Amino acid sequence: MLFAQSQEGGADVAYREFPFVGSRIAIWAIGELHLMYAAFVLAVPMFALIIEFIGYKTGDKRYDKLAHEFTSLLSVSFSFTATLGAILTFMLMILYPRFTSYLLSIFDKTFWPYGLLFFAEAGFLYSYYYGWGKFSPRVHLLLGVGLNIVGTAIMFIANAWLAFMTSPSGIDEAGNLVSTWDAVNNYIWMPINIHRMIANVCFGGAIAAAYAGFKFLGAKTKEEKAHYDWMGYVGNFIAISALLPLPFAGYWLGSEIYAYRAQMGMVLMGGAFSWLFIIQAVLIGMLFLGANYYLWLGMERIEGAEKYKKFVKYLLATITVCFVVWATPHSLVATVEEARKMGGTHHPVLGILGVMSAKNTAVNIMILTTYISFLLYRRGNKVATVSWAPLGHSAQFLIFAVTIIFVIIIGVVGYFVEASVRIGLSVPQVISVLSAMISVTIIDIFLFRNARIVGQIRWGEIPARAQYMLFFLAVTFTWLMGLMGYVRSGLRLHWHVYEVMKDTSVDAYTPTLGFASTVVSCIVIIFFIFIMFNFWLTGLLHKKDWEPNA
Amino acid sequence: MVPQKETHPPESAEVREDMSTEEMVVAGEKISTGKGTCFLCHTMGAEGSRAPDLAGVGRRAASRKEGFSDIDYLAESLFEPSAYVVDGYNPIMTPAHKAPISLTQPETLAVIAYLQSLGGAPTVTMKTKLKYSADAAPTVVASSDGAAVSYDNLSGEELFNKYACMACHSLTDPIQLLGPSLYDVGNRLSRAEIYESIIDPDAVVIEGFVKGVMGATLQGAGFDKDVTPQQLRTMVEFLSEKKGS
Repeated sequence: MLFAQSQEGGADVAYREFPFVGSRIAIWAIGELHLMYAAFVLAVPMFALIIEFIGYKTGDKRYDKLAHEFTSLLSVSFSFTATLGAILTFMLMILYPRFTSYLLSIFDKTFWPYGLLFFAEAGFLYSYYYGWGKFSPRVHLLLGVGLNIVGTAIMFIANAWLAFMTSPSGIDEAGNLVSTWDAVNNYIWMPINIHRMIANVCFGGAIAAAYAGFKFLGAKTKEEKAHYDWMGYVGNFIAISALLPLPFAGYWLGSEIYAYRAQMGMVLMGGAFSWLFIIQAVLIGMLFLGANYYLWLGMERIEGAEKYKKFVKYLLATITVCFVVWATPHSLVATVEEARKMGGTHHPVLGILGVMSAKNTAVNIMILTTYISFLLYRRGNKVATVSWAPLGHSAQFLIFAVTIIFVIIIGVVGYFVEASVRIGLSVPQVISVLSAMISVTIIDIFLFRNARIVGQIRWGEIPARAQYMLFFLAVTFTWLMGLMGYVRSGLRLHWHVYEVMKDTSVDAYTPTLGFASTVVSCIVIIFFIFIMFNFWLTGLLHKKDWEPNA
Repeated sequence: MVPQKETHPPESAEVREDMSTEEMVVAGEKISTGKGTCFLCHTMGAEGSRAPDLAGVGRRAASRKEGFSDIDYLAESLFEPSAYVVDGYNPIMTPAHKAPISLTQPETLAVIAYLQSLGGAPTVTMKTKLKYSADAAPTVVASSDGAAVSYDNLSGEELFNKYACMACHSLTDPIQLLGPSLYDVGNRLSRAEIYESIIDPDAVVIEGFVKGVMGATLQGAGFDKDVTPQQLRTMVEFLSEKKGS
């Protein structure tokens, strides 16, 4: 009875204060760390399974070993993820009892499957990792499939809770639950699911690549260097492959937020957070530059790729121009005098680039350019031998040319149509770029089937700066994830649950971008300290046993 | 340099029932730029890419929709913004009387006065009856309420009165009302027993009193739902000090 009274009473306290940093920063840090770990733990099994499957189908043991090494990073990380999740739950209950109580009242039915799935994930994960080589390959692959299905289901359930906070549904006008399924299947649930799934792969690949880069720099033998060079390449390949469709998924999420409540879309892209998207543009531009640079450095270890070197300067120029356009702000922070001289807060020349028509065009071309870099890398040491090779090359060139011209034309048209039409123009841009990448890939697969190998890939013979680029990419991905996570959560402004439950705490305001960036930076540093500790623990497995006289 | 600005929740402008139309215009402008967040989408004197320019809306409003006065049109635009959407724009506006904007009826009248003043002559007053009512807007779920927090600060005697305990129990005299006197309850019961008597009144019932009455009364008064552990502690402490003197 006393316990029951305490529980009831707990819900009557609206907020409690966390010492020193306050409740918001405490929840922010723990929530973000949990998300980063969860992203890593969910992503690695996805590509580990694919790599294992490639090894199974080709019979190449290197793939199996690589998949096993990726999976070895999971064990300790999984424990950290679960621990951080538990701390987050306790902190929500203690610091935001009334809000947490409301969410519990809406989603109580989802906690049972969530708990059971978490239990199942532990079973699948540890049997997948410790069962490596202990089962038949098919059984082991099935364990990996189970691990991925369960992990994805867990993420989908948790996503429903946070998506509900932004676009609540399944409740009546007074906020009472009407349908659990409708509350789960709220407006931005699926866009968040898809965006996170792709972003997780991107993030997981980048972290695994950074791990390989770290091991490469410390490698003593040529074999070790070759192995970790290859692992870094694969990790980076995974990250970049996921990075290419990520802006499209992000665009879908943004447009769904806009469609749910236009005001929230305005806050996102034109209000309090618009400048954060400039920071995001700078970071994504750096990611594209870094990813391309890594590929260009990698081409130096491919015999026969020299003939493509001459294209690098053009690719670099294109990416740089697109980067500059993408990072151009819509309006400038200027003094009254400066604004008068410019004739407003828009720069007379560059102001024209700070709108979505120009930015969408730039990002689509940047994606295509990165894809071209990868295509050149892929065919570095190969010569197509099929009879229709000239036709195939011409078709690929034509597809690229037509797509780029189409994307630019659509971008220009955007300046001359009404807002309601302009918003829809990004769809044909996105579809044309995706179609180009898919069709060129299909042609490329057949074009280079039975290709003549003109040189070897000298794994391990790559400059050290390529490994530092892998670190840079991992840190940038992580930072970007933290910043965008802040935007996703912060766009609700002073609402715990948008239009349903107000935030009336002392933190019910949006902090400055400088403050938010500082908090995110600290979280990123903590994450890397933690993950390095995890990797060190993982490495102990391969250390020699301690001996008294050693 | 990236702009550094904190965004605080909008504050409500003061709108009094005795305001003149001129005062309403001033208040309406404050609401439009603050709580109303109108200029997140609308522009003033420039073609808006998201929502129509509001410059001159006071003049246009009267002729915008057949059979609608300017007040009718502006009220409809605020309460049912999707009923009429200006050509070239999308129906993106949410009703201003609902969350997240949640304008009250007086605030809505003030905003209409301000909009009328943009190119026209404001005629709306605080007594103008609109076809719509902001009072019908659903309330949001309370993330906190002053009542629950402040009740924790009430004294034992205040809580005793708040939950209407005095209707059945006397604190000042050893007289029997509908329930036994609590005049000297501190002598008769320990703190734990007082606590038990409150949260489970039927556990021990003094001879001559009927089981179930106190439980039903407390439930009817919303005691079970509203009482907090802090309040219980305060009440137990207060009652334990009643020694009959």
